[in-house]
Amino acid sequence: MLVIKDLHAKVGDRKVLDGLNLEVPAGEVHAIMGPNGSGKSTLAYTLAGRPGYEVTAGSVSYQGRDLLALAPEERAQAGLFLGFQYPVEIPGVNNVYLLKAALNAARKHRGEAEVDAFEFLTLVREKMKVMQMDEAFLSRGVNEGFSGGEKKRNEILQMLVLEPSLALLDETDSGLDIDALKVVANGVNTLRSPTRAIVLVTHYQRLLDYIQPDRVHVLARGRIIRSGGPELARELEARGYDWVLNEAA
Amino acid sequence: MSAMPIVLPSNRDENWRYANLRGLARARFEPAPAPEATQLGDIAGRLPAALPGYARLVLVDGHHVAALSTALPDVNITHDVDAQEKSGADQRFANLNRRFRQGTCRIAVPAQAALALEVLCVATASSHPALDITLGDGAKLQLIERQLSARGDDSTLVNLHLAARVGEHAQFELARIGHHGAKAQALDTLELQLDVGASMKLVQVIEGALASRSTAFVEHVGREASLEWYVAALGEGTQHHDAFVHVTHAAPGARTLQCFRGIATGRSRVAFNGHMRVEAAALGTQTDQSLKCLLAGAEAEADVRPQLEIYTDAVKASHGATVGKLDADMLFYLLSRSIPPATAESLLKWAFVSDVLAKLPSPELRSQVAAALERQLPGAATRAWS
Ligand SMILES: Nc1ncnc2c1ncn2[C@@H]1O[C@H](COP(=O)(O)OP(=O)(O)OP(=O)(O)O)[C@@H](O)[C@H]1O
Ligand SMILES: [Mg+2]
Repeated sequence: MLVIKDLHAKVGDRKVLDGLNLEVPAGEVHAIMGPNGSGKSTLAYTLAGRPGYEVTAGSVSYQGRDLLALAPEERAQAGLFLGFQYPVEIPGVNNVYLLKAALNAARKHRGEAEVDAFEFLTLVREKMKVMQMDEAFLSRGVNEGFSGGEKKRNEILQMLVLEPSLALLDETDSGLDIDALKVVANGVNTLRSPTRAIVLVTHYQRLLDYIQPDRVHVLARGRIIRSGGPELARELEARGYDWVLNEAA
Repeated sequence: MSAMPIVLPSNRDENWRYANLRGLARARFEPAPAPEATQLGDIAGRLPAALPGYARLVLVDGHHVAALSTALPDVNITHDVDAQEKSGADQRFANLNRRFRQGTCRIAVPAQAALALEVLCVATASSHPALDITLGDGAKLQLIERQLSARGDDSTLVNLHLAARVGEHAQFELARIGHHGAKAQALDTLELQLDVGASMKLVQVIEGALASRSTAFVEHVGREASLEWYVAALGEGTQHHDAFVHVTHAAPGARTLQCFRGIATGRSRVAFNGHMRVEAAALGTQTDQSLKCLLAGAEAEADVRPQLEIYTDAVKASHGATVGKLDADMLFYLLSRSIPPATAESLLKWAFVSDVLAKLPSPELRSQVAAALERQLPGAATRAWS
């Protein structure tokens, strides 16, 4: 699904990714953990094609295609979804309108007809139920005035409506209360399938109690310095990062 | 009378610095004759769909066309030349209107009565529509004034004059939409007076026309009058849209809220100058100005100027004025949700002016305006409200 080789990337003048390698096969869920400022969000933004994130070396193959050659919206249309660490507020653009426009843009890309209004509402209502979100959120501006946790739920709602092949979820668990964490985890789990892959960026083992990862990676100093199974996350939770950093040095 | 020389304002005149007056030097101001009966069918075919609940008044090149209008007891057309020319640069276009107008459309809503009226001003050449409005005490008038070019590419010239006196506790809602042709010159002068407890809400959408200039003078004459003034201007190509609004607060407890949202695309220029004057007698006045412009073209220009002239301490005046670009984070968020760049930009522009557009009365009018904006904001306007 996703093969990253020797990725180097700059943000502004700052080199953040420094020879990162990562492979995520279809059907798997991978977790990326790592200290603050290590480059996790930079990796997510670089994969999503955010302007200002410049790849200076390396390659990224997504479903056999050169991901880096695609414009941001083409990456999304090709089934890549980024759940933002800090979802953006867009006053004046309706939440439901964004959902519909996003779905239709993706369908158009796949050569499918626009979704009809009734079908769309049925779909959105069903997904909102999964996310335990009130329908009042539909008519509000995108993330406008949403609480931190509501924004994260809204990200997952968008993901469920768009049904991406590859979801990159950047700290979707941060700022969620205990019940919301379960709701979000449940939302993510409903997306799991042999044809999709999910990459979770997280600081907490807690999320991984609800979403069992196939692999856990430690990102530090711009690369993956250690990979393992779910037990690695538990070890990090118990011992912190110093020992991994020391062993990698 | 027409032998008198035509004196136009110049960019050296205070309040006219940002106006585009270049095209006017060679303009023909003499009004077109009244339309022939044979033209009326064609004109009728170009009018927008009727708005439910609104009576209709049609002026073609400033001439009242009874055949296309609703007959109303509150509306009279007079041809008395009582309009005195006034002095000062700000009055020059108004004076041209007074000189060339083909009758004055007098709309008088009696005390406690209500009227909803759409005035369609159709231009085929030069025209000087004149509306003289009075609202009796406690009256309510919902007026929609729209400018239409008879042909889309017409180099029409419209020079409108609108005067209104809003009686005690009367309510005046005025929506103004310009559907001008690409080469049109659009000028207007508004003179409004608010009596005790009167309220006025204006919502104006400026788009189309090569150059437009709106000049408005509003006076809070009676105490505790309230004014809301919402303007959206969308410039593209080499268009030039300039608005000047002067509000005088002459009595206690006046309230003025002003909201301007401009978008300058391509090489266009968009300017808004909101002058608030608070006289010594206007104790307890509150004014609030929010003037914002979006620069969406490398060579576009925008100028928003709040001006305060205050002669009492007992006043609350707030103002904000910003000129900025499309928000890069918002843009990327939309792209990351599969939305193509052109649509994403349209959506953000739409969102930017939606504060104003949402204030338009009548859902039918809103969708007609949305359809008119679809060309400038493809994929955004008609869908955002569907
Ligand atoms: N625009 C920028 N200019 C300069 N440095 C930047 C810029 N954006 C990010 N950085 C730096 O790049 C480094 C990596 O940031 P990134 O956001 O990827 O970290 P992270 O691993 O996601 O951290 P966190 O766990 O706190 O979310 C940080 O040191 C950050 O300060
Ligand atoms: Mg981060």
